[in-house]
Amino acid sequence: MSSRKTIGEALVAAADTHFGLRFIEHDATTKVTSYRDLLADALCIAGALRAHGYTSGDRVALVIPEVSRFVHAFFGIVAAGLVPVPLCPPAQAGDVATFAKQSLHIIRASRAVAVLTTDDVAPLLHASAGHPDAGGPLSQTFHTLDQLRTGDAQLASPVALTLDDIALLQFTSGSTALPKGVVLSHGNIAANVEAILGPSGLDARAGDVAVSWLPLYHDMGLIGMLLSSLYAPADAVLMSQVLFLKRPSAWLNAISTWGGTVSYAPNFAYELCRRRVKSSQLAALDLSRWRVAGCGAEPIRPDTLMQFADYFAPAGFAATSFLPSYGLAEHSLAVSFAHGGLDVDVVDAELLVQESRAVPVVNGAASLRIVRCGEPFPGHAIRIVDEAFNELPERHVGSIVAAGPSVMQGYFEQPAATAGALRDGWLQTGDLGYMANGSLYLCGRTKDLIIRQGRKYHPPDIESSLADLQGVALSGVVVFAITTVGDTDEVVAVIETRAGGRGPDIEEAVRRRVRETAGLDIDRVILTPPGTIPRTTSGKVRRSETRERLEAGTLVR
Amino acid sequence: MESFNTPSATAAGPTADMANATADRFERDTIDILKRLSRRPIEPTLDKELMADLGFDSLQILEFIGELEDHFNIAVPLNSLTHIRTVGQIVAEVRGLAASRPGAPA
Repeated sequence: MSSRKTIGEALVAAADTHFGLRFIEHDATTKVTSYRDLLADALCIAGALRAHGYTSGDRVALVIPEVSRFVHAFFGIVAAGLVPVPLCPPAQAGDVATFAKQSLHIIRASRAVAVLTTDDVAPLLHASAGHPDAGGPLSQTFHTLDQLRTGDAQLASPVALTLDDIALLQFTSGSTALPKGVVLSHGNIAANVEAILGPSGLDARAGDVAVSWLPLYHDMGLIGMLLSSLYAPADAVLMSQVLFLKRPSAWLNAISTWGGTVSYAPNFAYELCRRRVKSSQLAALDLSRWRVAGCGAEPIRPDTLMQFADYFAPAGFAATSFLPSYGLAEHSLAVSFAHGGLDVDVVDAELLVQESRAVPVVNGAASLRIVRCGEPFPGHAIRIVDEAFNELPERHVGSIVAAGPSVMQGYFEQPAATAGALRDGWLQTGDLGYMANGSLYLCGRTKDLIIRQGRKYHPPDIESSLADLQGVALSGVVVFAITTVGDTDEVVAVIETRAGGRGPDIEEAVRRRVRETAGLDIDRVILTPPGTIPRTTSGKVRRSETRERLEAGTLVR
Repeated sequence: MESFNTPSATAAGPTADMANATADRFERDTIDILKRLSRRPIEPTLDKELMADLGFDSLQILEFIGELEDHFNIAVPLNSLTHIRTVGQIVAEVRGLAASRPGAPA
């Protein structure tokens, strides 16, 4: 087999080259660091961490908003043989309450020995932890980079680890449920990066420059962009997500200025660029070297990508650069990449919904457009199975399961959840799809997930957050997304109301609560009398049936 | 979830004095930008919270901050983004940043 490396070994190898990273922060300030300098700083930070008595395998929570500092801290933790647990920083969390709740949960659930953060962020965590409902003061030691850099216990080389050692605890993002920690070994990450860089992945080549604004606390930015560039090794430009969201043109400017050849983003980012980059800015952009425009992490809308390609064609963007991708944190990151640009399968809508078969449409029947997500990587496998775990034939829709060296070790200290996700070495992705001509086509999700801007929301959690609202009937809440082709998910809440409540008040309270607890906007609130929502004999709401009845116009009579 | 509000986020809130003062250009322009970016008709008075009252999500808030930065030629620090909840807080922040900008009229 190939000689796969731990992250520490990859850093040492990259330090022997002239490559490095360019950081562009939220205020557009820029800094360049070679992998050589990055290694030296990491060894300094690592020495200080070891001097605190932390030992190999200990988890260190990492919550740093600035891109450059995050990356230095990440490699410091890795070089010390410790396990980074990246957290979403507060500026991106929507609001302080959501940030504090998720961070405290992750810090405690990972049993981190320390928190590596900044002077701005630490007080937010301490203040929230002190609240009676939040579990009391944190026992973890807090460190900042500046503090650790004053140490004089620099290591000579990264602490030696094997491919079987744990490399990363990646908490699944965005969910209002308490997130679970995906345990990845160095072997998992090396195998996935090898697949990403290989011919059925990005087909990495000399002169590649990755440009990314993707958050580094999440798999696509961390593994797909940063670690892939390190392992290549190649230059990468890492930009603040805040800068991108403030000014989407900054992303395209960076690709243009620094000769970006590889860049990834979820569907919504392409939409955002088309809406917010002015046509007067096109003349200054050169996107002709951008050979891989990856798209993943949320459902891919063909219309969005085609509109982007049309709009940016004058800047040299080629639609053939699109690389639709499928992946998930439990598979390290990537599962499959679709080469050859955007490829859409137009199938009969009726047969897909009623019989779970993806049959190419004939005679103008109602159709659905499904994006091809490519073939499994070498050494990896994808199967479509039914509920009894039997493999389904081509063009039959079923659950997507995946196997191979990229599959996670499990969820951290969650044996039941791990057993539910891993079956005989096969990872249950929770997504629905079908195979055709050896390619995977992604249809949707088995878990009723709502996906907005790449973030995932679990309806049961949103529903339970609304249970105690005044005027809402007992277990009278159902939340789901209606997916319409060519548009983003419409999030709907169906609420059974008690007698006496004022409709507009309840509606406003529902919207407000979901915004505050989940950071999600409800598009439509439907107030109904008790008894409207279909339930099981044991009284549980039937979410899919509620959605189907609403769409069929038979929910409210 | 109200229980998780940080003290600093509420302590820095707009005062009644500010709401009564004559609107200056910072307040007027900030409110105009908010109205332009909102997906539905809104009345962004100084006491309104961007998320809870005006229906802005985190994406729209950052778009709004970007517009403010371009309009007033300022850079809003990351730490401020974390704490800002109300229109009044934003206006105060913008006013402060513009005043401390190099070359700003004293």
